Amino acid sequence: MDLLEYQAKDLFRQMGIPVLPSQQIAQPRDLKGLKIPYPVVLKSQVYKGGRGKVGGIKFVENTIDAVAAAQAIFRLPIMGAYPEVLLAETKYDADREFYLAIVLDTSTRRPLLLGSQYGGVDVEAKLEHMQQVIVDQEFSLFYARRLAIKMGLTGELLEAVSAIIAKMYSLFVQQDLNLIEINPLAIGADGHLMALDGKVVIDDAALGRHADLAALVATTPQPVENPREVYSEQLKRVQLNGHIGVLCNGAGLTMATLDLIQSAKGKSACFVDLGGEYRHPCPPSTLQERLEQGLDLILQDKSVRVILINLLGSIISNPQVAEVIASYLSRRNRNWRLPPMVVRLVGDRLEEASALLAQANVPVVPSLDDAIAKCVILAQAKSA
Amino acid sequence: MSQVSLSPFPFRPSPPFPAFKDVSSDRQGLIQGLTEPLGMVYAPLMQAYGTAIVAGVSAGQGGKEIQGTPVFDMVEQAIAAVGSIQISVIFVPPYAVLDAALEAMAAGIRHLILITEGVPPLDMVHLLRRSEATETLVVGPSCPGIIVPGKILLGTHPPDLYAPGSIGLVSRSGSLTYEVAQELTQGGFGQSIAVSIGGDRIPGSSFQQWLQILEEDDQTEAIVLVGEIGGESEEMAARYIAEAIDKPVVAYVAGRTTPKGQLIGHAGAIISARMAGMGADVGTMTSKVTAFKRAKIPLAKSPSEIPLLLKRVMKA
Repeated sequence: MDLLEYQAKDLFRQMGIPVLPSQQIAQPRDLKGLKIPYPVVLKSQVYKGGRGKVGGIKFVENTIDAVAAAQAIFRLPIMGAYPEVLLAETKYDADREFYLAIVLDTSTRRPLLLGSQYGGVDVEAKLEHMQQVIVDQEFSLFYARRLAIKMGLTGELLEAVSAIIAKMYSLFVQQDLNLIEINPLAIGADGHLMALDGKVVIDDAALGRHADLAALVATTPQPVENPREVYSEQLKRVQLNGHIGVLCNGAGLTMATLDLIQSAKGKSACFVDLGGEYRHPCPPSTLQERLEQGLDLILQDKSVRVILINLLGSIISNPQVAEVIASYLSRRNRNWRLPPMVVRLVGDRLEEASALLAQANVPVVPSLDDAIAKCVILAQAKSA
Repeated sequence: MSQVSLSPFPFRPSPPFPAFKDVSSDRQGLIQGLTEPLGMVYAPLMQAYGTAIVAGVSAGQGGKEIQGTPVFDMVEQAIAAVGSIQISVIFVPPYAVLDAALEAMAAGIRHLILITEGVPPLDMVHLLRRSEATETLVVGPSCPGIIVPGKILLGTHPPDLYAPGSIGLVSRSGSLTYEVAQELTQGGFGQSIAVSIGGDRIPGSSFQQWLQILEEDDQTEAIVLVGEIGGESEEMAARYIAEAIDKPVVAYVAGRTTPKGQLIGHAGAIISARMAGMGADVGTMTSKVTAFKRAKIPLAKSPSEIPLLLKRVMKA
């Protein structure tokens, strides 16, 4: 979960990382009550990067200019996203701009400190200057000094930058972050440091133990959800552009099934992933509920001509899966005609499952390739 | 920068790999979170498969007996009562996994299987610092664990899809592992061991660690590696195979047709690569296919093609 710049800076401020006086602007006329002195910089608060290059950041000297600039920024999409709020911040003259970040590095499975003397908008063009330090054991200030020294810093700047890194690390661990970035970290002519822009990504899995962050996220408009996703209580359907509706359990199996449908010259209409079996708490009954919800979601998609159900696992038996599907169909079939369905199951007690579904006229096919071939033919037959 | 994400080895040397035989022999196992919904479902399945699950631990439930298995409040109490325990399978809720793992390690258990989904990554970092210091082998989280067909089940694999044999199967997925296992079984290739390392960004053990274990395992003649788009683990595994693995390897990667920005579930490690500007392409199908091609590892187009490719590489 990403935070907006002003939210990231609130966290910085709480941790004692220096940020400029600023104020949130929900509409242009809020600028008439601006409490910080001009000159001021107005910044579009969006989740996407690159706003400066397209006009999402403007410097203003007085209220008239500020209101006009704010109107323009509110109307300016940044990679398709419009801001709900702007940040008005004191203008700061940076002598130099550094880059600092902490990420979780998946190859070493440790937090990684990143830093460069060449920060700002061109940081990616100067990647060769990016220094890194792995925090392999419990963090201590020396890891921060190690990075600062690799960055080529000495004297007072070495200590000041190390102290900022240590504060970033505290936030990283306390708030369960996936990323904390300060870019640029401005160095003023007087040698003072200032975090001019910040990025914070919270780990979704940890959100449940950070009530304050969860509340913050809940009250902020989130990035526009993918219009191809339709949500139910526990599940989501992702829209594609064919005619086979796919219901699977587990991410890998879902992806493999979609790949195989395309290889067989079929087109998937949509898919629903019921999820893995090790979600907690997950009594077996919830898989049955999710299966029914998944079928609801797929049947809401009118482009679906055939439904493929592909379930593998051991938490509920094949006959139990068959029973859930059969009873679902008998309930729904009373109201209207449903598209044909192919159920792919393998393993123990397959005959029992097949017998249960045979009554509902649903074939059980143990081979995934065969099940998909059948779906492709059914989808074509329906279109002819 | 690119060496950060693509390096086949961590910057620090890995701890020595615990002996593979310790997980596959019939030693005594424990379930932490036995009274949790999944513990209740899977403990009897593991026991029915012949796995010696001799005790359960669930804080506050000590003194009970669940389906014939004694429950203790703490791991050390379980060990005092039933004797030495080598393996713990952990089903506790996500935010309790770190504590459960630290407790097991403090009690001397050196093989941990974390089934639970949703463990915060920084908890895994904390856990790994301890597991590396104690040379503990950690599998998971968010995975179905390990099966040695015909011998032992430590996790949630559906045993009926597996058969004993000589193929080592290592995967990042759950149900896709079962899919590949049943294709192998159907194709006449039983498995020496199947392990899923889980799809989380910070897994307890890596593809490389398991490739090395399978390379050293006498029962394993060939290796099947199952990956997914997202993250960099397949790229790193391909490099490792080219440099360190002599046994034949066949790979399969799911997600060829998954629309961009539509990673299903396991978001993988893209974020660290993207944010730190370490190369935008890592994690895509193209990047993974290129890595396997460069390492001269045959890549199956579908699970059902895996047995055909195995026949070819095992003859060679």
